[in-house]
Amino acid sequence: MDFASWLISTVSRALAFGVPLLWGTLGEIYAERAGVVNLGVEGMMILGAFMAFAVSQSTGHPGLGLFCAALIGGVAALLHAFVTVTIRANQYVSGLALSMFGLGLAGLLGRGWEGKPLGNTLPTLTIPGLSRIPVLGPMLFQDQTILTYLGIFLAVVLWLLLFRTRWGLAIRSVGENPSTADSLGINVTLVRYLCVFFGGLLAGVGGGYLSVAYRPAWTEGMTAGMGWIVIALTIFAAWDPLQALWGAFFFGALYHLSYRLQAYLAPELLKLMPYLFAIVVLAISGLGGARWRRRAPGALGLPYVRGER
Amino acid sequence: MKRILAVMLAVVALGVLAFSAEKIKAGFIYVGPIGDYGWSHAHDVARRIVDEKFDWLETIYVEAVPEGEVETYIDQLVRQGCNVIFTTSFGFMDGTLAAAERYPNVIFAHCSGFKRNANMATYMADFYQVYYINGLIAGALTKTGKIGYVAAFPIPEVKRHINAFTIGVREVNPKAEVHVRWIYEWFNPAAAKEATEALIAEGCDVFAFTEDSPTVVQVAAEKGLPSFGHYSPMYDFAPDYVVSGQLVHWEKIYEDFLVKIYNGFYTTKNLAHVDYWWLLSQGAVEVGAKPGMVINPKYEAALKNYVINHPAFGKISVYELVFIRLNQMADPGITFDPFQGPVYDRKGRLVVPEGMWMSYDALITMEWAVEGVVGPWPGEP
Repeated sequence: MDFASWLISTVSRALAFGVPLLWGTLGEIYAERAGVVNLGVEGMMILGAFMAFAVSQSTGHPGLGLFCAALIGGVAALLHAFVTVTIRANQYVSGLALSMFGLGLAGLLGRGWEGKPLGNTLPTLTIPGLSRIPVLGPMLFQDQTILTYLGIFLAVVLWLLLFRTRWGLAIRSVGENPSTADSLGINVTLVRYLCVFFGGLLAGVGGGYLSVAYRPAWTEGMTAGMGWIVIALTIFAAWDPLQALWGAFFFGALYHLSYRLQAYLAPELLKLMPYLFAIVVLAISGLGGARWRRRAPGALGLPYVRGER
Repeated sequence: MKRILAVMLAVVALGVLAFSAEKIKAGFIYVGPIGDYGWSHAHDVARRIVDEKFDWLETIYVEAVPEGEVETYIDQLVRQGCNVIFTTSFGFMDGTLAAAERYPNVIFAHCSGFKRNANMATYMADFYQVYYINGLIAGALTKTGKIGYVAAFPIPEVKRHINAFTIGVREVNPKAEVHVRWIYEWFNPAAAKEATEALIAEGCDVFAFTEDSPTVVQVAAEKGLPSFGHYSPMYDFAPDYVVSGQLVHWEKIYEDFLVKIYNGFYTTKNLAHVDYWWLLSQGAVEVGAKPGMVINPKYEAALKNYVINHPAFGKISVYELVFIRLNQMADPGITFDPFQGPVYDRKGRLVVPEGMWMSYDALITMEWAVEGVVGPWPGEP
């Protein structure tokens, strides 16, 4: 196998596998930037996966399926927002509950949809002209769905929004110091609701990608832990949408390589690689990472009560 | 006195009547969700078949039971009145045995294990013959000489399947290789997908697998490559690309076992040596893309045109060879086994001498890799 073929398959697969992680991570970054940890990503993704499949299957429109996936992810996130922002319950417990609830509900609703092949899948694109470029063409401009490019575009837009606009400033200040934000006239509750809802929308799309594009079928538990990787990637990206881009695709590449390299290295070790990476990231961010600690939203995980400190 | 006698007689008669008309209430414990489209799904399909077939049978089930908690669920089923309990995962073995000792009046049957008791039998429907037949077909269809195999765990069961498959491949295509990738999970569609993509990147052009999702079939079909379904009929996922596959009929075993209990042949006292190891000849497994379709008609011509010079049958097409081998193994007087000696492992050691077959014990503890298998092989002797 020559170098070019390795490069092509690794990059191309990294993009394809990275998509659900990227969408999920971008959403979680926004929720956490506003100060709300949502461990329910796994649940929102699986609900999105089910919804996207069910709607695409019954209407024949995968685009509509993804739209509904976003909605159900958003609705599930609103539940979390209500419990954590309005009732001010523990964010971690509520998020875990949401994950379990999502997995259970999707499994229940999905009973009759199990094992059916999807007629209309989200098409893979071959970009005219660009796909002809040697190496770069097959690497970047073939076999990807619209969500790959949309996700990259979204990462850039969300970065601009977060760091270059007043809205972004409002979101960050709510996550950093809600009482100050409140005193400046920012509606903390509204901002948190919106960010958590937005996070749910993106997680829903990420899940939907799995069932209408990545592996077009519905199977119970098909997200298989991706939601938890999203949580780790959010920290790895230091709550920065552009770094999420690298994180998601780097993880995708590791995941692909763990199968590609099996012929040369012990498969047990390779299988560990992506997860080892997640643990290492968390350890670095937890231990040495003054940089990380500085960048974590100050009020992350804390409910906001007006007048309390 | 006469009256008392009459009453006593009536009581005894009623008792006998009640006993002979006794219903069986069978409880099934599944390790996965019944919607997994693999292992647990197949057991549940079988449960529904026997439930409908016999009016003296009532069945209930619990799904997605963690392996360590099987005893709790057995307690629950016993409380609900089950007198026969099936536990359908290897990991349930010790829990089932412990429960069998606690409930001597309940009949237990454990799938895929090796521990038995007076009231606990074991059963398994194995695919190795079916994989061998699929291997014959795969060997004739590959153009690159590389066949991809996505495998769950490097355990004897899966190794046996890969070896049988590879023996089939090499019988019709002695230079072909079977490239193996392990995903270390029974069910993980994303892992199965990336493993398949990795094999495609290595140049594999025909696919088989042992894991619990139709992922490999779907990914191969996207690239226009043929594959073999596993466990449940996967023809509908890719009608143009699923050539054949492995199908299971657990209901054959459940039916046989339950009828024998109903007839009083199996009791809580005589199961210590009851071990079902059912194969093609008992109809517990089937070769096919879906029931009744041994070979997808789209591939018939290619297999008929692939003619080899076979050491036993002379000039023969692979299509004919498939059915000859199938008949040899499906016939109750089995006249062929895939692991018929001489078989060499890939390190060149003779593992089955000329003219010999492997014993059941040797089959279920198989660790070596046969010639033609390429890729990592954890635990290789």
